[in-house]
Amino acid sequence: MGQKLNSILFLCAILAGTTAFFVMKKEKVSIDEKRELASIEPFSWESYSQKKTSKNLKEYVADHFPFRTEFISGSDQLKAMKGINLETQERIILAKKPSKAKPGAALDPTASHLEYVAEFEEAYTGDLLILNGRVYNLTGGSTKMSPVFARMVNEYAEKLRGECTVYSAVAPVACAFIPVEKYKRYNGQNRATLAAIGANLSNGARFSDIFTELNNHSGQQLFFGTDHHWNATGAYYAYVAFCKSAGIAPVPMDKMQKKVKYGFLGTMYQHTRDLSVKNNPDTFAYYIPNVATTAVRYGEYNMNSPQKISVFANSNGGNMYSTFISGDHPLIKITTGVKNGRKCAVVKNSMGNAFSVYLISHYEEIYVVDFRYSKHNLLSLIRENKINDLIFAVGLYAAMSNGTIGMMRRLATNSGTVPAALPVNAADSLNNKGASAKGDTLK
Amino acid sequence: MAFSSLTFLYFFLPLALLFHYMTKNMVFRNTSLILFSLIFYAWGEPLMVGLLLISAFFDYGNARLIERFRNAEKMGKAKAVLVFSIIVNLGALVAFKYSGFLYDNINYLVKLPFPRPEVFMPIGISFYIFRTISYVTDVYRGTVPAQKNPMKYLLYISLFQLTFMGPIARYQHLEGELTDRKFDWKDFSSGINRFCLGLFKKILIANIAAELMEKYLVDGFSDLTGADAWFGIILFSIYLYFDFSGYSDMAIGVGRMFGFHIQENFRHPYAAVSVADFYRRWHISLGTFFRDYVYIPLGGNRKWQDRNIFIVWMLTGLWHGAQWNYVMWGCYFGLLMILEKYSQPVLKVTPRLFKHLYVLILIVFSRAIFYFEDFDDLWNFIAHHLFDFSKFSNLGITGDLISHAYWLGLVILLCIPWNEFSWRSGKFYGFCTKLYYGASPVLNVGFVFLTTMMMLGSSFNPFFYQKF
Repeated sequence: MGQKLNSILFLCAILAGTTAFFVMKKEKVSIDEKRELASIEPFSWESYSQKKTSKNLKEYVADHFPFRTEFISGSDQLKAMKGINLETQERIILAKKPSKAKPGAALDPTASHLEYVAEFEEAYTGDLLILNGRVYNLTGGSTKMSPVFARMVNEYAEKLRGECTVYSAVAPVACAFIPVEKYKRYNGQNRATLAAIGANLSNGARFSDIFTELNNHSGQQLFFGTDHHWNATGAYYAYVAFCKSAGIAPVPMDKMQKKVKYGFLGTMYQHTRDLSVKNNPDTFAYYIPNVATTAVRYGEYNMNSPQKISVFANSNGGNMYSTFISGDHPLIKITTGVKNGRKCAVVKNSMGNAFSVYLISHYEEIYVVDFRYSKHNLLSLIRENKINDLIFAVGLYAAMSNGTIGMMRRLATNSGTVPAALPVNAADSLNNKGASAKGDTLK
Repeated sequence: MAFSSLTFLYFFLPLALLFHYMTKNMVFRNTSLILFSLIFYAWGEPLMVGLLLISAFFDYGNARLIERFRNAEKMGKAKAVLVFSIIVNLGALVAFKYSGFLYDNINYLVKLPFPRPEVFMPIGISFYIFRTISYVTDVYRGTVPAQKNPMKYLLYISLFQLTFMGPIARYQHLEGELTDRKFDWKDFSSGINRFCLGLFKKILIANIAAELMEKYLVDGFSDLTGADAWFGIILFSIYLYFDFSGYSDMAIGVGRMFGFHIQENFRHPYAAVSVADFYRRWHISLGTFFRDYVYIPLGGNRKWQDRNIFIVWMLTGLWHGAQWNYVMWGCYFGLLMILEKYSQPVLKVTPRLFKHLYVLILIVFSRAIFYFEDFDDLWNFIAHHLFDFSKFSNLGITGDLISHAYWLGLVILLCIPWNEFSWRSGKFYGFCTKLYYGASPVLNVGFVFLTTMMMLGSSFNPFFYQKF
């Protein structure tokens, strides 16, 4: 009897899973993972022989398994039950050693993106520290790389001499402000790295001393605990530092409209899936300057198909940081109600998103260029639109990698045209890279 | 396809069971099982499934020939066919597994005029080649009759329970079941218990050990202190045991669900009291293969025992991989076995606890030789990390021990051979056994649920910077 019951229960359990897999609706995207879920690819001998068919089916099953989100959440709970979880017990997650590049990747027409991801991860994915429900990326950069970044900024300053003022506004990393004595060394490393950038600037390029400004307010929460970005407060002090270097008066925080979202679990939580981090979600506060704005995004190569976006988007869940300028796009143009004839361009990675929104109080037009996705020619953009200020607003890790610095440098030489070798469909998809369902095509 | 995958658990297994048990006709059952086995193998080796088929039919023919010569008392010819079969099988193994290794070594000594052959090793080739060798040898020795039905022999070679990671199940143990398998609730239920236990060991013990081990032996390698280094190889030892024994449990369990009784492959090896005892408990099917087909033919303990032990262990090392570290690992055990043989008078009077400890230390240390395929890394690990006790830990051992405390407790519990204690016939053991079998229906569903959870947890693959 017990043997029959055992067998029947086991078979029922697995058949329930199988049946639910076929019956339940399948999602196409995972919001938490920020990716498309696997779809079944058409069968071919080539894909079969290269083991791609089995890999695809395996991924499809894993991505569309019934109650996947709940199971994943359960696995986080289960992992937390491996032992005793002391909130104050620090845990170190070491950086994964970068895997060797796959041969042939350089021949891929989208290789610049692949290169970027690899370089970026190498530069960014340092060791992680989990402490008191917050995650810190343990890095302080390197003073050896500071002159390399500064040289790139100087080159722009040289090329745009007399046309545009160039600023370096590099953000430190959250670990610089860990309130624990044994981690103070990261404060010193961040300070030294960023100061070395300032010391190596020339040709009239200006240094926005963001580190000092943030350090002066290190008693406040300047970064998210569950995400690798700074929060609106940290970005605000960066904006104050920029204003000081530009000789303009920053708008006080209390003159802006404060809005708050709750329960933000960002990239660091997604990466660690740590329960103490999950139990300590961030409050997402942001400040809206009292200025009317409209914004459009453009594709990767040209400005032919503008799509409306929001300067402050209604992004939620793990994607909450995309509240700022609707996330990452190759090129955004923000038109403001300010009438002073001044225009600026911000070359940024995602750290620049929270920073850029404060600039709308000071410029008529703001062009936000994401160096990772944009193939626009930055010099042409500046000259054609008579832009007054060019600001490099990036995170420290982007200033510490030859790959990312090279991408910023290449903005000066991009042709802005779709490469002939790229198939039409691929060009279309690339052109729309970064677009989200939120955008409407302008008529 | 891995047993510990969603595709196997929720699609392959129920479908294979359905086809197998939809009729009592053995021809249909065997045919469906062959088809499912080939799909299982082709899932991981889409092209090399051809090699498996060739190997099966090649040795089916060889065994029939050997038997014919045996029956005609032409032992010379039977031996010639056996030697031919072994040479071809080992030749295939050398070509697919060792050709790159051989090239590297010969090229190091004498510059070869041709490039390094790029040959990919088919999954499980070491296991199924050894099974065919054992079968053909057994037919030659007259231990088993040659299988007359090629489909039954193909089933033995392709049986999905055995192809990827063994055990190296002997033909003689499965011969009867290739012809006649009856459904039995007791067998089916015990197969489920065993499969679920294996799944639990693989997903909830081995995979967690692997994740933590990577922190110490890969990502944090350059910062290892002595404690970190030992903790790292202890984790590797845990991983290796639970990964392999978990797989063997699943193979035995799934085998039993289909009516096959596959021999045990592990018997609580970390409870061994000597190195020899350890290898009577670890990967038993490989140990017995080398004993029966290499050690004894070489002379066993009758003549040149030390040489025989050393050769067997060198080959055991080489079987594990085409790298010198595996050969070195084999030699390490060969020497230990020989030393242990001469130390019997001392070992006999050594308290049991010390014997456990010395075996554990030697085994854990051997894992370092097994783990590092690069000699520079191995040397670096032993010379600069393993005995560096200037600082306790650079990688946060205390935090990891605390956050894995219950898991480590479970590991220890599962390493203890409870069934070997003297009170096993006592009331307490009886009570525990009854409790396990009574609770198994719920326990197994719980294991399936938890392992599904963990398998899906590992499918979580966030892309921080890519928009969807």
